[in-house]
Amino acid sequence: MKKNNIEGWLFVSPLVIWISLIILVPIYIAFELSLFNVKIIGTSGKFVGIDNYIKLIGKSKFLNASLNSFYWIIGNAICQTFFAFTIALTINYKFPGKKIMANWIILSFIIPTVVVVVIWKLMLSSSSGVINSVLIDIGLLDEATGFFSSPNKAFISLVLINSWRWSPFLALIILSGLNSINREMYDASKVDGANFVQQFLFITFPNLKSVLFVLGLVGTLLSFNIFDIIWLITKGGPSSATTTLPLLIYETAFTKFRISQAATLSIVTSFLLLLFSIIFIKSMAPKEDD
Amino acid sequence: MIKENNIKLIFLSLSLLLIILIFFFPFFWIITSSFKSPEEIIATSTTIIPRSFTLEHYNKILFNSDFFIYLKNSLIVSFSSMIISIILSVSAAYGLHKLKFYGNKFVEYSLLVTYAFPGVILLVPIYLLFAKVNLLNSYFALIVVNVLFATPFAVWMLKAFFKLIPNEIEEAAYIDGASRYIVISRIIVPLAAPGIASVAIFCFIISWTEYLFASILISGDDLKTLPVGLAGIVGQYQIDWGFLLSGAVLASLPVILLFIFIGKYFVSGLTEGAVK
Repeated sequence: MKKNNIEGWLFVSPLVIWISLIILVPIYIAFELSLFNVKIIGTSGKFVGIDNYIKLIGKSKFLNASLNSFYWIIGNAICQTFFAFTIALTINYKFPGKKIMANWIILSFIIPTVVVVVIWKLMLSSSSGVINSVLIDIGLLDEATGFFSSPNKAFISLVLINSWRWSPFLALIILSGLNSINREMYDASKVDGANFVQQFLFITFPNLKSVLFVLGLVGTLLSFNIFDIIWLITKGGPSSATTTLPLLIYETAFTKFRISQAATLSIVTSFLLLLFSIIFIKSMAPKEDD
Repeated sequence: MIKENNIKLIFLSLSLLLIILIFFFPFFWIITSSFKSPEEIIATSTTIIPRSFTLEHYNKILFNSDFFIYLKNSLIVSFSSMIISIILSVSAAYGLHKLKFYGNKFVEYSLLVTYAFPGVILLVPIYLLFAKVNLLNSYFALIVVNVLFATPFAVWMLKAFFKLIPNEIEEAAYIDGASRYIVISRIIVPLAAPGIASVAIFCFIISWTEYLFASILISGDDLKTLPVGLAGIVGQYQIDWGFLLSGAVLASLPVILLFIFIGKYFVSGLTEGAVK
């Protein structure tokens, strides 16, 4: 195909300029800040070089938050893959009400996160929550439990809530991949005697490669990015068990007023995520064949 | 053969039941609860079918709170963000789709990465930047950020919709002497209208639900958006559940209404067009 350099750039440049300005200028500011020791916003600090970076590496808070972020990404990936595939494979069948279900399954994604928080705070409440009373009624629990009271329970509850919000959206994207698979392949495999599991492993899964690539990359970064669900439910507690890197950055900047430290955290985090993205794209990007 | 079908049927019914219970029941729960008396909401013995019915919570939130101010702010910010996002991303998606240029793959992958770009990393520096250029406490501050979060995925989706338009239609128009501008406005945009509608909803939702930046960049009560207003109630020590629930239902209503009218484009857009 012939190249249209000038016209092509003309079309993409408004967006590219908008995005670059809003990402690159702040990153430059953050980098500059990370070399000083500014505390409260608006005050000036003195130049400390790479001191902030050196201090950061040994900080137990930073290590704790990094580990939490890592567990958060893994936990969400497992839960969301499970929920999203269950939804996508179910909706892919024909049943009465399929259209309504396919349209409205995404409800949890289109409502504000704050509403998600309200829903689950009410449902999981230890004093009057419906989940607690159902679990007691069917004999799984002896007495009401606080779903956010211990570090592990809080973490798992948050992973489930966040997966509840995102899985339907991911399911629809997986469905788009499923729709693009040629039906004849399934019929042919049936003739050859393949069962449901074999079909999934050898037809469905390989054909979803490009969809899964996008989901793997974007999903990981999006999970990492989650802030409001955690902040509004546990504030990072109990005892920092749910403080992921985004929460640590927020806390450092806006409740502890250590602006330079927060900027340093931001720079280190962006570097780690960039590294992840490059490795992921280089190693997993599907070959273009169109 | 029949046996395999039976197993499938059982699996299908089970997963349907599970999906309804997990993904739909919570909505039934908060909607019905928002009409319950305060005593019933916090009662320890839960009732699936409500025993009481009251409009007092809605009364309170509609006539005795800042709800309409927050609603107005959210609508202004979300609509403006949506329109700017659509203009920028239609143009970019067309460029990436049709015009092969030096660096197009780079732009494409960069967009994908920025879609997921962790906003919280930008939080501190954007706050400082906006403070410097006097943008704090303005609708525009939120619009700038929302466009940043919405457009990368919008471009990705739009590109997929443009791919569905047969090349021949466009080429025929050029042979008839149409300019690029005419082709885009008279052929591409109308043919991709359902796709553009679904992308528009996506952009609207992104802005409508945004909380983090809205909570930091806006401090004046008169400019707060709905999520920030609601979060204020969540954070209170003694939560007024009835008030909060009716607020949550009302804050979801606009997106749900929008979704009733153009939601099917969004879903079919996602399932048929995107990521191919």
